[in-house]
Amino acid sequence: MEMELRTVDSLDAALDVLADRGADCQVLAGGTDVMIQLARGEIAPAVLLHVENVPELQGVSANGATRIGSLVTHRALAKGLLGPRYRALAEAAGTVGGLQTQSVGTLGGNVCNASPAADTLPALLVHDAQVALRGRAGSRTVPLEEFVVGRRATTRRPDELLTEIVLATPPECTGDVYLKVGRRSAMEVAIVGLAMRLTFDGDDVTDARIALAAVGPRPLRSPAAEAALIGSRLEPRAIETAVDAVLRDISPIDDLRGSADYRRRVVPGLLERAAGICAQRAGRTPEHEE
Amino acid sequence: MEVSFTVNGKPTQVEIDPAETLLSTLRDRLRLTGTKEGCSEGECGACTVLVDGRPVDSCIYATGAAAGRAVETVEGMARDELGRALQEAFVAAGGVQCGFCTPGFVTTLVSVLRENEHPSEDELRTALAGNICRCTGYSQILDAVAATVAGRAAR
Repeated sequence: MEMELRTVDSLDAALDVLADRGADCQVLAGGTDVMIQLARGEIAPAVLLHVENVPELQGVSANGATRIGSLVTHRALAKGLLGPRYRALAEAAGTVGGLQTQSVGTLGGNVCNASPAADTLPALLVHDAQVALRGRAGSRTVPLEEFVVGRRATTRRPDELLTEIVLATPPECTGDVYLKVGRRSAMEVAIVGLAMRLTFDGDDVTDARIALAAVGPRPLRSPAAEAALIGSRLEPRAIETAVDAVLRDISPIDDLRGSADYRRRVVPGLLERAAGICAQRAGRTPEHEE
Repeated sequence: MEVSFTVNGKPTQVEIDPAETLLSTLRDRLRLTGTKEGCSEGECGACTVLVDGRPVDSCIYATGAAAGRAVETVEGMARDELGRALQEAFVAAGGVQCGFCTPGFVTTLVSVLRENEHPSEDELRTALAGNICRCTGYSQILDAVAATVAGRAAR
């Protein structure tokens, strides 16, 4: 059967197509994942629903929570669209492919593609991201953790479109970071990606978020590692406890890019570095080098 | 299906398959073979063209998505002042050896230098992370950019 390309110019039109033929549709934004999957024969939808021109999915609004339109590109994020409180997301977006991928690849696309190695997902997880979904039957907002449920698996229903990614406003004295291990900083699928966000009161860590990519079927937070840092002053013992907790939570595999053993070995260094950078960005311990 | 867009400023209508890539449309239907096919998976940048001024890997960009937009290829760069200056600088600096990656580098660099007249070397290296060259080792390419930037500043 011949595939059909439908370009829509409004959210209403997109939702109409999805209500009618959602199960047959593949949503197409920048296409940097979808076009490759089509060429490889991994997907064969009857309809490619091209949503890149839908105005309601563009831009960012920061009225209370920060709401990022699903079509916001990695390039816009990497250039600092969200400002200094969300540096982890800018850093993550800046490592998704090269300039060509970042120019058209979208945040909504990276979320819906739900790759185990998706760079933006750990950065979004440490900021309590929620995703807003719209369908003809109604709207809902769900935590990202409950949306990406497995390798390339989300709870998006066939008639729904991801419209926004919503971030909580970080408290004062908070620093965040995304670090990626790969053979190159850009143009490389992460061997391990780690995002962290720490909040301080004086030298004491009062809140901690740690999330990793490429160490299991989906990016995940490590609550036990977070608990190990909360109440600490990032002393070596606390870092060690957090590392042990992360290593218990992850389930890395051997693949072309790295072995499971290598992935485990880079976690301690990454976690310690990330903690130092978060502290510095939160205005603590200026002696740490970035 | 039929799609309309401009290619190097020229209004163009073309009959395409729905999931056809812009690379295939440009090379096979419009006979603009300056744009090269390298990896076919958005890794190497050889097929870079500009769509509304943004660099994209045309091997993973749907032609249908370009409807109503402005596409620029390396053929158009020969008529663009900056593009021409870059091409000449590539030749002078030895930034072209086998030449297969050159169209992608030139188009990417045109977009970068239009946006930022004086990129730092760090910014340039980051911007070129999606373009792979297996001949030059990149140094001559960076030399060509430096010469182009200096030439523009001198005017």
